[in-house]
Parts: sequence; C-alpha cells; structure tokens
Amino acid sequence: MPRRRRRQTGTAWLFLLPGLVLFVVFRLYPLLEGLRLSFTNARLGRATYQYVGLANYARLADDTRFAVSLWNTAFYTVASTLPILAVPLLLALALNRGALRNVLRGVFFFPFTLSVVTVGLAWLWLLDPVVGPFNYYLRALGVPARSWLADPSTAMWAIIGTTVWWVTGYYLVIYLAGLQDIPRELYEAAALDGAGGWRAFWAITLPLLRPVLLFVVVTHVIGSFQIFGQVFVLTGGGPGDATRTVVQHLYETAFQNFFQFGTASAMAWVLFAIIMVFSVMQFRLLRGHTEY
Amino acid sequence: MSRTLTRRTFLIAAAGTAATMARPRYGAAQPKATITYWNGLTGADGKVMDELIDRFTRETRVRIEQQRLPWAELYPKLQVSVPAGEGPDLVLIHTVEVPHFAYDGVLEVIDDGMATGKGFRGEDYLPATWQGGTFQGKRYSLPLDVPQHVLYLNVKVMKEAGLTGADGKPKVPATRDELVTMAKKMTRGDAFGFAIGTLNPGRYTWGFHNLLWQNGANIYTADLKRAGVGDPAAVEVAEFWSGLGGALGIAPPANANCRDAFIAGRLGMWLAGSWNFTGLRDAKVDFTAAPVPRLYKQPIVWSMPHQYAFPKPKSADRSRREAAWTHIRWMTDQVAEWTLKAGQVSASRKAHGDPRITADPVLKTLLAQAPNWQVGQPTPKWVAAENLTRPVIDSMYTGQKPAKAAMEDLARQINALPD
Repeated sequence: MPRRRRRQTGTAWLFLLPGLVLFVVFRLYPLLEGLRLSFTNARLGRATYQYVGLANYARLADDTRFAVSLWNTAFYTVASTLPILAVPLLLALALNRGALRNVLRGVFFFPFTLSVVTVGLAWLWLLDPVVGPFNYYLRALGVPARSWLADPSTAMWAIIGTTVWWVTGYYLVIYLAGLQDIPRELYEAAALDGAGGWRAFWAITLPLLRPVLLFVVVTHVIGSFQIFGQVFVLTGGGPGDATRTVVQHLYETAFQNFFQFGTASAMAWVLFAIIMVFSVMQFRLLRGHTEY
Repeated sequence: MSRTLTRRTFLIAAAGTAATMARPRYGAAQPKATITYWNGLTGADGKVMDELIDRFTRETRVRIEQQRLPWAELYPKLQVSVPAGEGPDLVLIHTVEVPHFAYDGVLEVIDDGMATGKGFRGEDYLPATWQGGTFQGKRYSLPLDVPQHVLYLNVKVMKEAGLTGADGKPKVPATRDELVTMAKKMTRGDAFGFAIGTLNPGRYTWGFHNLLWQNGANIYTADLKRAGVGDPAAVEVAEFWSGLGGALGIAPPANANCRDAFIAGRLGMWLAGSWNFTGLRDAKVDFTAAPVPRLYKQPIVWSMPHQYAFPKPKSADRSRREAAWTHIRWMTDQVAEWTLKAGQVSASRKAHGDPRITADPVLKTLLAQAPNWQVGQPTPKWVAAENLTRPVIDSMYTGQKPAKAAMEDLARQINALPD
C-alpha cells in the first residue's frame, strides 16, 4: 500500500476511533456479555454462578408466559404497523402544502416530545372506566362505557391507539421531509399527461417515498418488538397477561422475579434473533427498487 | 468587684445546665459528616421527610444526600450497586424486602448489642414491626412506621344510600355478607359500593394478601417449603376476588383509579392504604375511617412497615455509619411529627400516647388496629411470588380464569421459583 494511502487509512481510523470505542464498550461488550450470561444461572448481585449450557433456552420453551408475551408482541407489531404507516402518511400528504404546514407540524409533533410515562399516565386517566372523560362522553352519547384497558379484547387496541397518537408526529416529520424531496416537475409532467391526484400518488409519491417507508417500517418493527413503556404504565401487562410483552417479561425476570439475569439474558437473545430475522426480511422485501 | 452567688442565680444556672445536658446531643461527637440515604417516599410523605431532614441537619450538622426514586426502581438499583460498592449509607425499605436482601448479602447485620446501645429495644416496638426486621435469627433493619390498610367510608355516598346511623355516621360492615349487601345498595351506573386497592384493583396483591391472611391462608405454607395458594382457604378467597370483578357487581372494573373514584363520590367503601388519608383530607372529601372489617375468620390487617437498613459498604467508614445511626435515632425521637404530617403510624410505641395523635380520628383508628397487624412471610422468595401473583389475581378479577384453576396455576409458578 502506498505511503499516502496508508496515511489516509490511518487518518480515517483515527476519526472512527472515538465512535468505535464507544460502540465496543457500550454496545458490543454488553451484547456479548449478555450472550455469555445466557448460558449461566447468574443472578443479579450474586458473585458466583455456574454455566448451565442451554438450560435457560430450554426453560424458555416451557415458559408459557414467555410464549404468551411473544404472541402479544407479534400481535402488537402486526396490528400497529398499518396505522403507524398510514396515519402519519395521510397527515403528511394533507400538510405537504398549505400555509399552516409548519404550525400544524409542530402541533402534531408535540405528543412525541412527551415521555412515555407522561403519555401513559394521561391516557390512563382519559380511559379510566369510572372517572375518565372518554367514557363520560360515550355515556353522554348513549354508548355504554367500558373498561378499555381491563378488557382482554380491547386492551391491546387501546395501547396501539395510544402509541399511534404518541408517535404520529415523529413519522409525520419524516414523511414530510421525504415528500419535499420529490421533484415538483414530476407532478407537473404527470398532470400534463392527464394523471389525477390518485394516479400521481400511486405512480410518483409512493414509489419515491420507498426509502422513507423502509425506514419507517424497519424502525417501527424494531421498536414494536421492544415495546415496554406504554404497556408497563397503561396495563402492567394485564388484564391477566393479555398485553404482556417480551421486554416486560424480560424486565420482570431480570429485575423483579428474583433477579434471574441468566434467564433474562436468554430471552434478550431470543428477541435479538427475532428482530434480526425480521429486519433482514424487510430489507430484502423493500429494497427492490430503492436507490440510496 | 465582688459577685455573690444568690440562690436565684444558682437555680437558673442549674436549670440551664440541666436543660442542655438533657437535650439529646446527636451531633456532639460528630464532625460534619455527609451520608447518602435512599428511599422511595415519592408521595406527599417525601416532602415531610425533606422538612424533617432539613431540621435534622440544622440540629446535628450531619448532611444527608437523599436519592428518591420509586420503590420498584430503588430495589434493583440497590441489588446492583451494593456489590459494586456504590450503595448508600442508609436505605429505607419495606419489610418484605428484608429477607431477600439479607439472603443476597446486600444488607449488613445489625448487632443486637449495637442496637441496644443506641437505644433500640424490642419492647419499645410493636412485635410485628420489630420481628419484620429479622431474617433467620439475625437483625438487618429497624422499623420506622407502619403503612397499613384501613376502610375509608364516603359519608356523602353512604348517606345517599341510607347507610348512615342516627348520628349521621356511616355504618361499618361487620361481616362479608353485610359488606356485600351494603355495597350493592350503593352500586348503580358508574358508582360502586366497594373496592380494594388504589390503582387497578384487579392487580392489588396487598389487598389479596389481606384477605388470604384473614382466612388463615398465605402465599407459602407455614414451613415456607411450598406454595399455600392452592389450599382450600386460599381458593375460597380467590372466589370472592373473582366475584368482586364479576358476579357480585359491587366493585369498579380492573384498571379503575379507585382513589379518584372515591374522591369523585363514585365509591362508597374503600379498603386501601393508610397513606391515602392525608390526600383525601387535602381533597376535602367527607370521609371517615374504620378498622379493616373482618371478612373471614380473623380481623387481620395487612401492614408493611418501612425499615431502616445499612447496605454493606465496600469499606467500613465509622463516621458515616455513626452519622446514619444518628439519623435513625433522631427520626425515631421525632416520629410523632412524622406520624402527624405524613400520616404514617410509628412502629415505636413511644409516639402512640401523644395526645396530638390520639386526638386524630384516623390515626386513632390506625393505632387501634395494631394488635391485628400482619406482615409478609420471611422468605427471600416473597417478592418474586408477589410479582407472580399480580397477573393471576387480575385474570380472576377480569373473568379470564376461574378461581381454582388460577390458584393452582399460581401455586405451580411459585413452586417453580429457583432457590
């Protein structure tokens, strides 16, 4: 390698070094340490532990609550994806032009500036079956009130609704940025060819938004598999285990049920594997015509 | 100029000296120490603690750096930080946490001689609270106060339902049947007659424990070797619990905020923690408090004393430990203030005769329950078992699982907890 090129490579590594060190210390090392712990019976705070091979993974296979958590997480991921893709997109299309765009963007973005606990507590009160305003107005309209968060058939949907309300502003901003990047000339040419709004959406907007859609889908799916805060505050995983998710099960195993770090690490690695598989699948399905 | 010592001068000087000597000299032997103190007093009681700590610092010159976080976060943090040598000098924990922290070597043993030397003696405390600080024959903590259950009665709601006596005071149910009958009279639309627990009554394990204990059942059998929740007495309680959320139709749905419902006049009788009563007064609710009714065989009252404990330090620091002892001693001496302002009855008997406390009707009711106080079982698995109990009782309350099957499932889960 010529000296100049070597020097360039060295400089590049030097620039990369701070980021790499942080990545190794705070990401890679904990990840691998978690993998090692998943083969042990380690408990938080205990100095000694033994290697137990795949026992923690085998135990997960018999853990019915883990299976329920996986199912609930998958349900949440699937059921929430369409509204989280569609609601901000529709709003972005509506707000893409117009004088109040910046103001409305701020208004819709506001909920996302709130912490998950604040959002959860606000919705907990809104949906309260006895003193909550939501049920109050339903009763006023003659609709029977119900306990949205305590009914197994509605609890997860209430969590999805809350999440959509919370994150819509964030995805709206991303969609708006994507829409701004689409050249106006394409719409003008399409209009000259007689294409209406619907046709222009399918033939121009949607294909050119593909990278943005990919970003939204991948980040949402990864985030969905890790859903915790909303569930923890709104339902605690209830009623029963109807909204219990993998991360909640993992958290409780690690920090509440006897600090079983070995078992919890095994859960984390199973979750990691699932997220990895889904992410790869999504990239393969959606990257087809995407140019970066 | 000669000065003569008159009798009056002598008496004033002597009285002054005696007063100085008699005053507890908390900080006399101390340099200006700073200690770290963790607690989970995130409610109104936290402000009261702040005030008392400010006073403590002024009087003793011992500074306290408090770290206050929700109990559910405090305990894992303690479990991690103490082995790493990053624990606090002093921590306030619930009694049921003592066994597992002691078992895991997080807490330091308190030598009996040391405790006695500092003026802490068993006979000064109520037995359930003093005993709660021990695990396997060793002492790990010293009790401060006794959060407990009490029955709140909403005067307005009960009056409207015709459930007040000639004196205008709400009637108090004496049996389970009476409670259900009274509750049914108050239940209509979005108003309910009875509830157990503050937020999310379906998941309120402490209320469920209270009923179990009243029926002579418990989470573990007496020898602590296996789960006791599958036993007939526990299943009987579970059936009542299922009925609360379902067939009886007297309690709010799971996930309801019972405190808000009580304040809003949509709840008549509310079995809940003593820590709620100062908030009810602030909200100007017309209520009275009655002892926890005897719904089963014995009038047991759930309680969970707060306990002071010393997390194991990485290296011994005598001055900090002494400063921590000084604080416990000071708080114990000022516990009447704590009781009056924070609404928590003291574990120590010393303040129980204080006329300011006995004049308060709610505090008087809480004190009268003392002979019936019971705490969780002394097993390191108690908290883990409680966490397993929560979704199971919720599934019964919301009608997802029949009581017997749910309790058998819970027993299986508890028995499968690792050692």
